Amino acid sequence: MKKLAILALAGLIIMTAAVPFAAARELNDQADCNTNHMKCREYTLNLDAPWYKVALLLTACDIAFGKCMLGI
Amino acid sequence: MSTTKRMPAAAAILALAVVVMAGAVEAKGQAAGRRKAIEVAAPANEADEAVLGRPVALALDAGRLYIVDALDCAVKVFSKEGRFLASFGRKGRGPGELSFPSGVSVAGENIVVADKLNFRIQVFDRQGKARSGFKVPFAPDKVLALDAERLLITANPTGRRKGEKLLHVYDPSGLVVWEGLEARTSSDPVFDTFRNMILVCPGEAGDFHVVFRSGERTIHHFSRSGALLGKTVVDERHAFKILDIPSGRGVMRLVGFCWAAARDRGLFYLSGPEALAGRDLGPGREVSVIDGQGRLQATVELPCAVHRFLVEKGRMFAIDDEGGLRIFEVNR
Repeated sequence: MKKLAILALAGLIIMTAAVPFAAARELNDQADCNTNHMKCREYTLNLDAPWYKVALLLTACDIAFGKCMLGI
Repeated sequence: MSTTKRMPAAAAILALAVVVMAGAVEAKGQAAGRRKAIEVAAPANEADEAVLGRPVALALDAGRLYIVDALDCAVKVFSKEGRFLASFGRKGRGPGELSFPSGVSVAGENIVVADKLNFRIQVFDRQGKARSGFKVPFAPDKVLALDAERLLITANPTGRRKGEKLLHVYDPSGLVVWEGLEARTSSDPVFDTFRNMILVCPGEAGDFHVVFRSGERTIHHFSRSGALLGKTVVDERHAFKILDIPSGRGVMRLVGFCWAAARDRGLFYLSGPEALAGRDLGPGREVSVIDGQGRLQATVELPCAVHRFLVEKGRMFAIDDEGGLRIFEVNR
């Protein structure tokens, strides 16, 4: 279980590094980053999915937000 | 001689009877504490509109059930027997249009909808015609009409600002009446998101109750003006469920308490999270019936896991794992 979680997190980080967050290049504006981050979180929370999955998706939202703010 | 012989025998029979009766009473008590919900057969709804894409909130009035569908950006109306009646709203930004609606409540003759990604509250009449609305400076999550003059709106904090509030009360014209219940913050925003997940249940006279989904077993009771009226500690038999998740800061321990909650005639109906395959926590199929003092009155076993529900006069209107509407009798 622990190994699986580590692998899932590692995969998630690699995936977000390789696949740009939706239109990341255009999202240099902080307000857009904030809006997209908020939408990402709200979609995730409204899924009402099991909590492990929700935690992973929220982490992905945060990584995407960081990338957006850095403009990468 | 015969009388003295009969006396010990009679005493023994009497003692035996007392023991048997006590056992029977105890067994009866246990049986009363645990019961199975009885499903009420809902009619087959043939219309495409009746299909629920992502039902996220429910509300009831005297004769109808309103379900917000976040995927279809609509409010779907059913009879209390589960027959599809109508649908209103569509995706968009204009009057009567919705973007990812997430909450619904009945306010007198109006239906109030939390229009999340349009950052507004919209008010419809019973026929589904948009009447009014107002903008809010946050993404509204759930909405609850406390009375004709006050709307309670909940928010999921973004975690990026200090002092964010979970509860916001507005008047029908869109003026803030009060805001309260500050979001909990720490160095772990994902953990904070779980700690700030709340459910609200209406009280009797404009008051309301807040249940935290994880971390604590207390129900907070607020007046319509935002005063904290009290906290009720829930019976330990409605147990926490623990989930350890590896995070950037070590292990994040989620203390799951409640997946969904409703209130009916002074009783709380709380469904706890349930362990799923792979040790995750998902919606449960057991509902604890808790009285106003926090004592467990009964446990109701449902035939399926439910995500969200309302209870009215012992009848539960619930959303199952497939997003279908299910109706149960939970008080028999």
